[in-house]
Amino acid sequence: MHNDQELSQEESLKIITEMIEKAKSHFHESGSGAILWGSVIGFCGIISFLQLYFHFSIGFDIWLLTAVAILPQLYIVWKNRRMRTVQTYHEAAMNAVWSTFAIILFCLILYLNIVTGITKQLLLDEHQALFIKNTISGETKEINPFVPSSNSLFLLVYAFPTLATGFIRKFKPMLLGGLLCLLCFIASLFLNTTYDFLLLAIAAVFSWLIPGLILRNIYIKQQAAHV
Amino acid sequence: MFKELDPILHSQLRLAVMSLLITVQEADFSFIKEKTNATAGNLSVQIQKLKEAGYVEVEKKFSNNYPLTTCKITPKGIEAFDAYVKTLQEYLNTGKK
Repeated sequence: MHNDQELSQEESLKIITEMIEKAKSHFHESGSGAILWGSVIGFCGIISFLQLYFHFSIGFDIWLLTAVAILPQLYIVWKNRRMRTVQTYHEAAMNAVWSTFAIILFCLILYLNIVTGITKQLLLDEHQALFIKNTISGETKEINPFVPSSNSLFLLVYAFPTLATGFIRKFKPMLLGGLLCLLCFIASLFLNTTYDFLLLAIAAVFSWLIPGLILRNIYIKQQAAHV
Repeated sequence: MFKELDPILHSQLRLAVMSLLITVQEADFSFIKEKTNATAGNLSVQIQKLKEAGYVEVEKKFSNNYPLTTCKITPKGIEAFDAYVKTLQEYLNTGKK
């Protein structure tokens, strides 16, 4: 393509259309992330079903594989980043959504593994314990309670769009807000409900209110510049 | 009275580069070269002109010991491209009447 040719308006329009079409036709979704998660979750589901249906155990929690699958997911993102010669907005958004999904999934596994032990500890702190009684023999034994920490799950849900938006828009306040949400989530696993509400408030202020005010400020400045 | 078309953009190769960059978040020099069929030397000169106008950001780094140049359109570049397309539309609409 030469440069100093005299351009007519029609030629300009043709160049713009051609280049946009060329850029669009360059991209093909590899589907690696979807294949990875589809295989892992599908496999874990089938193994769990078979264990329950045929009453056998493989000796470990098969769902731990989902935590291991986070590594190939991160590798896919890293490899794509190294190999690509161009990054579209669409591709950046997809990477952000799937990477955030991997982080949230990891946190959910953490939640399921930690909450049981912590619930027991929190009850002990209040001098309480849960027992189950055999109504025939009268034998009682202590059970490990699982009291869902709903506020922790809310914090995880808060973190998802905040982190994804932060990654996609490369907007640091939201990225930091999302990370803070995850920290609050981890803290909420070890604290009782009273403090969970405080963590919810902190997460909401730092994930949304402050980034929102920053965005509003930028918007007002932009509006003023265009008047 | 028509607005004048932005002289920085009203050039075959620079317009092609900007049209590519408006569609993507960022692109390597090799991608732009492949899509525009331009020579490396000419493309470098035109990207430099766009950079001087503040329409693109150029980042030079190394990947596997090879130099890697990445280009990205700036908000000023988006505004200029938008204005260029609007002016072009005005010309073309008048031509149809």
